[in-house]
Amino acid sequence: MTEALIEVEGLSVTFRSEHGHALRAVDDVSLEIAEGEVVGLVGESGCGKTTLASCIAGRLAPSTGVVRFDGRELEVSRTVEDRRAIQMVFQDPYSSLNPRMTVRHVLSELLKVHRLVPRSGIEARCRELMALVGLPTRALDGLPSQFSGGQRQRIAIARALTVEPRVIIADEPVSALDVSVQATILKLFEDLRSRLGLTVVFISHNLAVVRHLSDRVAVMYLGRIVEQGDREAVFGDPRHPYTRALLAAAPRLHQVELVRAVVKGEPPSPIDIPTGCPFHPRCPRSEEICTRQRPVLDQAGACPRHLAACHFRDETASRAEP
Amino acid sequence: MTPLLEVEDLVVEMRRHRVAFRAVDGVSFALERGGALAIVGESGCGKSLTLRAVMGLLPSGGRLSSGRVVVDGVALPVEARGRGRGHRQHRRMSIVFQDALSALSPVATVGNQIAEAPRHVLGLGRAESRERAIELLRLVGIPDPERRYHAYPHELSGGTRQRVMIAIALSSEPAILLCDEPTTALDVTIQTQILALLAELRRERGLSLVFVTHDLGVVSQVAENVAVMYTGRFVETGPTAEVLAAPRHPYTSGLLAAAPDVDRPEHEPVAIPGSLPDPLALPAGCRFHPRCRFATAECLTTDVRLQPVGPGRQSACLHSDVLAAAQAAVGHD
Repeated sequence: MTEALIEVEGLSVTFRSEHGHALRAVDDVSLEIAEGEVVGLVGESGCGKTTLASCIAGRLAPSTGVVRFDGRELEVSRTVEDRRAIQMVFQDPYSSLNPRMTVRHVLSELLKVHRLVPRSGIEARCRELMALVGLPTRALDGLPSQFSGGQRQRIAIARALTVEPRVIIADEPVSALDVSVQATILKLFEDLRSRLGLTVVFISHNLAVVRHLSDRVAVMYLGRIVEQGDREAVFGDPRHPYTRALLAAAPRLHQVELVRAVVKGEPPSPIDIPTGCPFHPRCPRSEEICTRQRPVLDQAGACPRHLAACHFRDETASRAEP
Repeated sequence: MTPLLEVEDLVVEMRRHRVAFRAVDGVSFALERGGALAIVGESGCGKSLTLRAVMGLLPSGGRLSSGRVVVDGVALPVEARGRGRGHRQHRRMSIVFQDALSALSPVATVGNQIAEAPRHVLGLGRAESRERAIELLRLVGIPDPERRYHAYPHELSGGTRQRVMIAIALSSEPAILLCDEPTTALDVTIQTQILALLAELRRERGLSLVFVTHDLGVVSQVAENVAVMYTGRFVETGPTAEVLAAPRHPYTSGLLAAAPDVDRPEHEPVAIPGSLPDPLALPAGCRFHPRCRFATAECLTTDVRLQPVGPGRQSACLHSDVLAAAQAAVGHD
């Protein structure tokens, strides 16, 4: 494995609810991300994927654990350089763009503040950024409200790229877009990665999108990574029943019949996480051991990088199906 | 036998910058007893407005300028504002919205909200209505319904709220359930559960379904018939499996090619060129022609409407046979 660009180790985030309950949004997560890699982070609402991403981007201080970048431990209050290096792109570009600033204003201000190019070069750099995200130069004069959802997402990406980051963390960047627009933004991420060598953490609940784009995948449930590994290891030979359930439930164009709901019930409250394996109350494979002993995230299958947190991780899908 | 629901030439006008335009432009369909139709399309294509017009719940600013809605052989009175809800035939239909939280009252318990129709529409007594509400909560798969009866919407998860919405929709004993993206805001494992519930209701109660969605992946799970909508019109209709396997309109095949496939990571999603046209400046001729690779000179001038292209199938494309041949040549992708 190549040297990790980002190393997350033992990271936990605990929030206090108004009634004084402790809510573990992220629970002892460790993850390595290599330079130039696209890592997909999947899971359902409330699984902690956005909280984890916010910690990596330095927008949120973890309760415990560390984030290392390029071998250095990142402080809770980061230097300007470290913040520049890791940028975020959000689901809703409209609420993350200032409605009163033209695109040129947004980009040139960043270029000035960070002294990235000489003043005379600002206009040229703005044009270059527009070209990079596939927008015409005249888009620089527009206000966010004048653009469609897909164009706004391009502007948000251009803004993130302005400060020359090494890592982009994209939080559900295509979830609000129509399918034909979604395809263009996915293509843009692929282009940026091959042209700029960007490292991307791609958060999505859409498995088809993640499978298409990622080199490696981490599946989260109730604040923990329950399975991770190379894309084809995880999707082709899933070892955690939750991953299998997500795959089974993914919408498919040519579904012959109705999908049987494999997973019962709803995710429990993160304030009151079940004992043993947190997935056991919903799990079709659950046995007595699962109710009392929490499985560790350990190697599953042939590849040493394929990890799953299930007592039955050595079973393949066909054998595990009831 | 007459279809349960017939919609004929529905036209809904909306206004933008004081200019009226047809957001729904001549939509017709029929729904058999126990049948299901999915209406699929991208944002702004008019799919939700179609549903609201049928239900008599057009938003303010919307005008039903023409069209007939016939339920079980009885035509509903067409009221220009499209907000007539008095007719008893309207009670044969119920609607479920995407956003259950804003559709539910925040100040009433879910039980009371479900019991409302049995009490005031069906005329049951207080205790009976309550019994009925609990029965409905059980029917939609909510555990411990006696206790949940007293819950307020904010105390429930998104999936449970959507189940409550469905319970309310069923409380007036409708024959037709209109669903406006009911699973879009839900996680996939919960979406699967709700789709299974709808299938069960169809099977066991003979409920008919009109299901609006933007997600082609959901269509094949909910409905045996599909209508693809673009700029206020149906551009292709037919049996779901056939339409998705061999589309006869370039917009349908464009939508199919744009979606990533969870089973085929090597499939490169291909975007439809261009973007949705401004409804105030629709292209002449076929409205899809500026984005279409099959477009010829004829497409620029001919206003194409749905034509039969096979048993049970219709397409609004002059070159649907060329499209079919192209698919046969390259194999299905």
